[in-house]
Amino acid sequence: MFNTIKKIIKYPNLTQNYPRIPLPVLPKTGKPVIDMEKCTGCGECLRRCPSQAIVRDEKTDALGINLDTCVFCTLCEEICPAGAIEMTNQIELAENLRTELRSSTLVVKEDQEIAMPYEAICDKLVKQIGKTFGRSLNIREVDAGSCNGCDYEINALNNPFNDVERLGMHFVASPRHADMLLVTGTASRNMQLALIKTYNATPDPKLVVAVGACACSGGIFRDSYATSNGIDGIVPVDVYIPGCPPRPQAILYGILKAIEKG
Amino acid sequence: MTVIEINKQLIKKFPDEMIKTIKDDGNELYVEINSDKIREFSGYINQEMGYSLIAMFANDETPLIGKYAIYYVFADRVSGVLLTVKTAIEPQQMTFKSIARKVHAAARYEREIKDLFGLNPVGHPNPKRLVFHSNWPRDTFPLRKAYDLKQQPEFANEKINFTKVISEGVYEIPVGPVHAGIIEPGHFRFSVAGEPIINLEAQLYFVHKGIEKMCEGESIEKGLFVAERISGDESFTNSYSYCQAIEKIAGVKIPERAEYIRVIFAELERLTSHLGDLGGICLDVAYGFAAYQFRMMRGWVYAIADELCGMRFLRGVNRLGGVRKDFVAGKEASLIGQLKKIRSELEETETIIKSNSLFIDRVENTGILSARIAADLNAVGPPARAVGIGWDVRKSFPNSAYNQLIFAIPEHYNGDVNCRMNVKIEECYQAIDLMLAAIDSMPGGSIREAIITVKPYQFAFGITEAPRGENIHWVMTGENNTIYRYKIRTPSFCNWPVLCHAVKGNLVPDFPLINKSFNLSYAGNDL
Repeated sequence: MFNTIKKIIKYPNLTQNYPRIPLPVLPKTGKPVIDMEKCTGCGECLRRCPSQAIVRDEKTDALGINLDTCVFCTLCEEICPAGAIEMTNQIELAENLRTELRSSTLVVKEDQEIAMPYEAICDKLVKQIGKTFGRSLNIREVDAGSCNGCDYEINALNNPFNDVERLGMHFVASPRHADMLLVTGTASRNMQLALIKTYNATPDPKLVVAVGACACSGGIFRDSYATSNGIDGIVPVDVYIPGCPPRPQAILYGILKAIEKG
Repeated sequence: MTVIEINKQLIKKFPDEMIKTIKDDGNELYVEINSDKIREFSGYINQEMGYSLIAMFANDETPLIGKYAIYYVFADRVSGVLLTVKTAIEPQQMTFKSIARKVHAAARYEREIKDLFGLNPVGHPNPKRLVFHSNWPRDTFPLRKAYDLKQQPEFANEKINFTKVISEGVYEIPVGPVHAGIIEPGHFRFSVAGEPIINLEAQLYFVHKGIEKMCEGESIEKGLFVAERISGDESFTNSYSYCQAIEKIAGVKIPERAEYIRVIFAELERLTSHLGDLGGICLDVAYGFAAYQFRMMRGWVYAIADELCGMRFLRGVNRLGGVRKDFVAGKEASLIGQLKKIRSELEETETIIKSNSLFIDRVENTGILSARIAADLNAVGPPARAVGIGWDVRKSFPNSAYNQLIFAIPEHYNGDVNCRMNVKIEECYQAIDLMLAAIDSMPGGSIREAIITVKPYQFAFGITEAPRGENIHWVMTGENNTIYRYKIRTPSFCNWPVLCHAVKGNLVPDFPLINKSFNLSYAGNDL
């Protein structure tokens, strides 16, 4: 008992105060960006991208990256002969519309940058949760065919470092108790019925957040006999969180985004 | 025994049935035999020679030889040899002799082959569908070459039958596929009388994505990225196995420094996984303090991974022929410091939880697995080591770096949750020690021997010790550096039926605890 108390005192608080305090500098495994000035349009990345996330715009012939499909494998950065592709450390990529994540000519749109400081986002979040769901947000996670990477990252939201309960968010055991479904995976053939049933069992008003490349677009598992290309063909989606898997903070950012809408 | 000695022995014993020796190099021996004699042959190898059946898969070779082929893979774990027996099946025949009554581990593989290839195992004790649920038409077999990957057949509507236990007071509890916790989907059907579980049937394959089919015809480079995404928390070990297979086919020996870097990441993944399991075991007995200790340590390990390679799940570390970057160079001191901190924290936490009698009472003698069942069904990894089946790929089939490092396999014999937990705790220390030793004895030099082209229609195994146990991948190359067939057999595939046996006689509320002590991957099983 004495040892237990000693340990509790030793580590009183490990929680990172995201989003109130911005993230520390992250490794560069976030959003890939093509520098159009350096890009020669050779198409090496387009041919070799494992999830075919890199596309060529038919009109302008320029290359772009569909973030909803990207698996953030860093191969394009490695193989680009002109050194035009660079991974950035930006992970707050969640969007309400899937088209916002997709690229026709250029990867980055200026208006995608976050305009508001984190303090303001956090304050707003607390207000929004209060307004929409009466102070707390209850979340049900549904794995609809993921590799379990996203699920471990959602699990990590509950660990001492992230601890989302501090923001009034709880993970609940039944969809009947939930305000939000966090869906991971490609909606595999065998899970489609279960996903629809879970959605129908969740009381209105409800939010659906697609977590990870598979849930957004099918990711690397697109176009198979047993998968569907993103869950939005099965249930309506409010927010898409790209990443393979997205970091816990990226998921948290996406949840915030969903509440803003709700 | 060496490959040549085994081959001689088989020829002596079965002079007429052996059609030919296909390949014998290094530690892999392939023989082709007459498919009518497979029962005698496999029975002899399994029971007389004592080799375990560790994988079994079919391959549609109709474009090549006009026949289907079935491969039976046996492992001689003492001398580190993989013996593969190939039989050819005529397309008009479409059946093969089931060996499941002789070699019990074959039962699930044969059901898998039946679902994916439409080859019928004759004499199978329980040929129930495995991969496909009630929604898949019975006459469609996706792993045949003629089947187009993108073709999605109409949803069929059949009923799934579960094993019924009928008696007074016996009732069923259906659980899943959407569970109460944040875990993967699977359906469990418990037959229960009062409190104890009489029978458990697990309906898996909810996350079946068709990974094996998806890789066929794709470049060997893309195969690597798919392999990383087979099972999220085993990203590294799966890509490690895949790389080994391709490197063997290409005949490339990777630089020694790369081997050591791979050892460090493989052990890092093991540490992450085991700390998560230990936290889960504590959480499932409502021991919150200990669970948070383990989660905190797991968070520290993730921070190490982040620092080394920028990916929490160790993706993008492996490349064909080596590793992407020299991830360890210049970070040795910080790595050693963090590992030592985790080690001492783990020691202190272990002392605390092991002196808590309430906790030990829950885990001791819960979910006992019998050694006989474990051996018959080829249980692998920590659950097998907890009943005294002390095989470890790192010892049986070592790469050059593991050969140089000294470590002992944990020995436990009771096969309960407590033993599995102890195996995992000991392996955590071992993983830390191995990493420290690897950093210490790591040679300098290059980190990658690029592989650009591979010969068509070559095949090889990649075999590694995943956190959950023995992990085997088999790759056959096609034209233009593509994959012809990719068979993945993760440890979870072997251990799921074992888990269903281990829970019998236990209370339903102990199921989550027993399940956590196995911690099997659904994605790794379902593919």
